[in-house]
Amino acid sequence: MSVLLDMLKPDFLLHHALWGSVVVGFVCPLVGVYFVLRRLVFWGVALPQVSAAGIAFAFMLQGLGFNFMAGGETGERHLAIVGAVVFTVGTILVLAALERRGAGLTEGRIGALYALAWAASILFVAWNAAGETEMFGLLKGEIVAISESDFHLMLDIFAALAVAVLLFQREFTFVSYDRDMAVTLGRNVLAWDLLLYLIVGLAVSLGVMTVGPLVTFGYLVIPPLAALPWARGMRSLSLLASAMGGASAFAGFYLSYTRDLPLGPVVVCIACAVYALSSAARLVVPRSS
Amino acid sequence: MTTASPSPLIRFKNASLGYGSSPILTKVDLAVEPGSFWGVLGHNGSGKTTILKTMLGLIPCLGGELSFRGTPRFGYVPQKERLDPLFPLSARAVAEMGTYRKLDLLGRLRRAGDGGVVDRCLADCGAAGFADKRLSDLSGGQKQRVLIARALAAEPEILVLDEPLAGIDITTQQALLKLLKDLKEQRDLTILMVSHRVSAERGLFTHAAWVDEGRVTAGPSSEMFSSGRLSEVFRTEL
Repeated sequence: MSVLLDMLKPDFLLHHALWGSVVVGFVCPLVGVYFVLRRLVFWGVALPQVSAAGIAFAFMLQGLGFNFMAGGETGERHLAIVGAVVFTVGTILVLAALERRGAGLTEGRIGALYALAWAASILFVAWNAAGETEMFGLLKGEIVAISESDFHLMLDIFAALAVAVLLFQREFTFVSYDRDMAVTLGRNVLAWDLLLYLIVGLAVSLGVMTVGPLVTFGYLVIPPLAALPWARGMRSLSLLASAMGGASAFAGFYLSYTRDLPLGPVVVCIACAVYALSSAARLVVPRSS
Repeated sequence: MTTASPSPLIRFKNASLGYGSSPILTKVDLAVEPGSFWGVLGHNGSGKTTILKTMLGLIPCLGGELSFRGTPRFGYVPQKERLDPLFPLSARAVAEMGTYRKLDLLGRLRRAGDGGVVDRCLADCGAAGFADKRLSDLSGGQKQRVLIARALAAEPEILVLDEPLAGIDITTQQALLKLLKDLKEQRDLTILMVSHRVSAERGLFTHAAWVDEGRVTAGPSSEMFSSGRLSEVFRTEL
């Protein structure tokens, strides 16, 4: 109990890691709901890896002497964020365009993309030996070294993303559920899709920078799946998934800290346990009318 | 064949309709008058839904002319199977989507949309009793009532229905047809309904369009359902 109280104190040594992980746990499921409902779960696997490739690419550029941003380590981190966002949003736009054309096999495309992103990440790191340590830490999801100002900026961006997703929930739901009806009513489906994709790209990129690709994927997909059987509407689905993601993050951090285990895998295992319990309980508890 | 009128709501003139750059229907001539009840009929895969999608602006008209009188307000009832049951949406939430043409910031922040209109449309369609149930838990006939209520919530001039009676038992079909007849009279609607078969609904249509082998033959139902025409369409002596 005293450990728990220590964790909640502002001067806790791993304050940034704890609250960064919890915030990502709250926000990524809000976005992930649309992956699940649009049946694009595999996007959730591939995009964090693409984001990681973007980060590796940024580190490689720095290793090769292309320093676009001043500020030493902070500048490196900012360039990494730019790399992640550009790779992720660019990939989403290409995938969305291919989806709209209905060309080829979606699963095949995503599978190839995932393999390519992994391979590219390794190659970018191989071409920049100096970035290997930093990249390895990032893939595990370690944000201990982040500065106070960057930490608060990250929280602000996640807060803005959460507000945007909730504020425009009706539009995002409408264009996801029945595009034809939305077009018939004169809604600009393409513009709403682009806004959603931009939010997804930012959430995934920042999520990967904060907790790594594995945990980001876990947060994107597992809490919405766990919440879905209990949801009575889109608002309740989003809030329940977000609460499950945040709670899994906090519980995962506590276990990781007290048992000296790696954070990312513990968080994912807890989220999966919540999903299993939710599914089992749904079989037992009758659905109310 | 052309159904001429000085000011039809919708007019196709020598139009080519299809997907991408490949027309599947050519030389389409069709004029939809205000207050008419059209049946768009034909075999599965003949191109009936293509006509609807072009009319609604979901796909472009590939050639010829498609014109409207003013900017008509459509209420669209898609095939119910197209809507993904994974979405945790109540019947009321789905019906509310009909009001999403004009979502302002205040409307977005309120819990419900234009509740009065939505509730009235649900009641008019006999769907008020199951408005709070999840749409995916409803029967085919109940879903169809909710989707018609959603289309009405858009306050349409023209109601467009894509196979509304498919997969529904005879009794429910009769009830839905009576509902459409009543709504048409009460709200002065123009209705276009796609169907791959002709039975009970035939009596409601004022006009019909037969879609077959890339061609559309349209006209008043008295002419389109004559035994000669039906023999031609079904390629058998009736």
